[in-house]
Amino acid sequence: MTDPVLVFDLLLAAAVVALAVASLSVRDLFMAIVLFITFGLLSALAWVRLSAPDVALAEAAIGTGVTGALLLKTLHHLRYVTGTLDRDPPPSVTPATPVPAPVIWANAAFCGLITLGLAAAFLGAPQAGPGFDPLVAEALPASGVEHPVTAVLLNFRAYDTLMEGVVLLAAVIAVWQIERGLSDAPAPALGEIFDGFARLTLPAIVVVGTYLLWKGAEAPGGAFQGGAVLAAVGLLLLLSRLYVPQPAHRGVARWAFVLGTGVFAGVALLVAGGGRVAFEYPAEHAKTLILLIEALVTISIAVTLAALFHGREPVALPSSGGKKDA
Amino acid sequence: MMLDPLTLVLFAPLFGAVAAFVFPRAAAAVGLGAVLVTCGAVLWLAQQVLAAGAVTVALGGWEPPLGIALRADGLAVAMLAMTAVVGLLVSASALDALREARQQQYFWPLWLLLLTGMNGVYLGTDVFNLYVMIEVIALAAVGLTVLSGTREAVRAGLEYMYASILGALLFLLGVGFVYLQLGRLDFEGLNSAEPSGALSAALALMVIGLLLKTALFPLHFWLPAAHANATAPASALLSGLVVKAALYIFLRLSTYMPLPDEILITLIGTLGAGAVLWGGVQALRAERLKLLVAWSTVVQIGLIFIAFARAGQIGLTESWKAAALLILAHGVAKAAMFLAAGRIKDEVGHDVIRDLDRSSIRPTLAQFTFALAAISIIGLPPSLGFIGKWSLMEGAMAAGYWHWVAVTMIGTLLSVAYFSRVFAGFLRFDRMRGELAEHKGWAVADIAPLTLALAAISLGLMATPILSFLELGYPFGATP
Repeated sequence: MTDPVLVFDLLLAAAVVALAVASLSVRDLFMAIVLFITFGLLSALAWVRLSAPDVALAEAAIGTGVTGALLLKTLHHLRYVTGTLDRDPPPSVTPATPVPAPVIWANAAFCGLITLGLAAAFLGAPQAGPGFDPLVAEALPASGVEHPVTAVLLNFRAYDTLMEGVVLLAAVIAVWQIERGLSDAPAPALGEIFDGFARLTLPAIVVVGTYLLWKGAEAPGGAFQGGAVLAAVGLLLLLSRLYVPQPAHRGVARWAFVLGTGVFAGVALLVAGGGRVAFEYPAEHAKTLILLIEALVTISIAVTLAALFHGREPVALPSSGGKKDA
Repeated sequence: MMLDPLTLVLFAPLFGAVAAFVFPRAAAAVGLGAVLVTCGAVLWLAQQVLAAGAVTVALGGWEPPLGIALRADGLAVAMLAMTAVVGLLVSASALDALREARQQQYFWPLWLLLLTGMNGVYLGTDVFNLYVMIEVIALAAVGLTVLSGTREAVRAGLEYMYASILGALLFLLGVGFVYLQLGRLDFEGLNSAEPSGALSAALALMVIGLLLKTALFPLHFWLPAAHANATAPASALLSGLVVKAALYIFLRLSTYMPLPDEILITLIGTLGAGAVLWGGVQALRAERLKLLVAWSTVVQIGLIFIAFARAGQIGLTESWKAAALLILAHGVAKAAMFLAAGRIKDEVGHDVIRDLDRSSIRPTLAQFTFALAAISIIGLPPSLGFIGKWSLMEGAMAAGYWHWVAVTMIGTLLSVAYFSRVFAGFLRFDRMRGELAEHKGWAVADIAPLTLALAAISLGLMATPILSFLELGYPFGATP
């Protein structure tokens, strides 16, 4: 008798691949994004089945939620600037000038080569090697937290995590400095129902995001997942126009972007001394410091993701007569 | 609080970036200060490396493979020093070259984040950490590419970002497979691993990603537009420093790679030869000065890979030094050249090569700087570029690989040819009818590029100490 879980897994795997293919091959951009979001949700489920709940949460919150929102926002902007906002058919992915055949063949050859490399690397690899697990289990008691993933991210390999925050910081600085000199696309009309929805869900999201962060010390969750969920608050505020970014808010926003990275790096440096090196938390304060860092990094991630969704520095546009509207 | 130079080299630019972003009005002062502190930290580190050989810090007190260690040896410090010096002089020239407050305000945090990433790459000993670092570099570099704000720059920046992220993803895929195989990510683990086909495949994925990021022919398609359309200080940083990060990782990995046979090394050299020839021809055809300089970067990257492949598999233990010399030489000279090109464009008002001799304004010192930098890039004695090319050819001749000598010679001739197009414009005065405009021929802003160009020439005289410094801590062959 076949194991029902195995059947589920096979169906899930087939669905993930099918959605990926569909998302790549569909011509309508809106359809492609919706398929991509569905693909992301099912991938998150696949991560759960692979016993990686942290990755599943990250995939659902960042890979699917925030990325999906960014893609939809970009599509909206694209339709606004091309003047196809109210028109059918929607923009399609067909390029204006067809790609030359040699380029297609060269790309195909390149992709084929990569696929061969992937296959060789995968087939030759030992299955289910131990990896870091024994090392992490051994060092976990000294880390200050109980969840191994958090211990790796914020203690053993905190340097990597700090630099991932720096990547996000670089991204938002790069986005802010692109001055398009073009007024923003008006936010889509969301209607009264949406306002009610926002009022109901906002408090719930705040609770969920904070819970994810708090639980991160002993269970799956943590700064990136919590930050992404909290970023949804920012997205809803922006979409429902309960919050409209103003040029005067830039100073606060800058501080919010750098808060996590700055404090993380500051703590990493300040704990050094007396025989300790950078990032070496004193054992008795390890948990406090890790929670502090996580909380501030979460705030920075949430604000940064929301700012990336807004997509521009809130500057006064000369063309629209002073204050810009979104 | 107790500091060690390794941590300071990373954190000085990081805190500088944070401060420069939060205090936009003081960005220039904060930024320049942070670069100066970084230079000091590199000096301190160099002193330690000179005294003790390699210096290592296991961050957080967690030894690899669980934790991440920073390690500085001769090669790493040489790269750090080159980056710091080029960075300092480019910073100085940015004070003048970026006239708009908005550009100043964004240049400094992005450039300091870039410096953080570059320094992190040089000190990294963990392949996943290297992935994070090249992501930091990629995003900061894309930001710098679009700093000029023109439509072409934004388009080139977008293409650059696609190429860069694709390269980083390929690298990450390889990293994942390395972890699957070895259960660890540090260099030590790679070094002690049993060579296997699967490991080679994983490393090959990483190398393809790196080649895309360093723009080796035929994966160079994104480079000319991105480097030619950026503002002068950004171009200098992108061409002089950024492409070197991926090259450096390649150089480091190449010792741990079970580079299986002669065929692969020959393939890498052949791609390098393709870059030298194709880039040379494109530089001959370029209509704008900055585009010509950008194509010359493609050529030089190719040359560095030829240096790597110059003596085949057996010669690798020595060939990396020739490649490292060329990396250092190109970093200094190309930064000088892009800054000088930016000065010429600023003064003359355009950089169309054909019309350079029609201008009534003659930025003589900038032209002189450009010529000096060209001497190092062409590889004429006594420049550092000459030493690099010489050791390339010496190794190739000793190993009997005359084809690499021939390609290098052809590349040199091509570079003389395409730079002559520019010099002709500098030297001919007869096409300008009428009065020459009032112009001193120089400005304070010329000092930074001139210093870099003079350094590129005079460092060639110090080749022996540089070579023996590179060998400190035995970067290659011995366990890290």
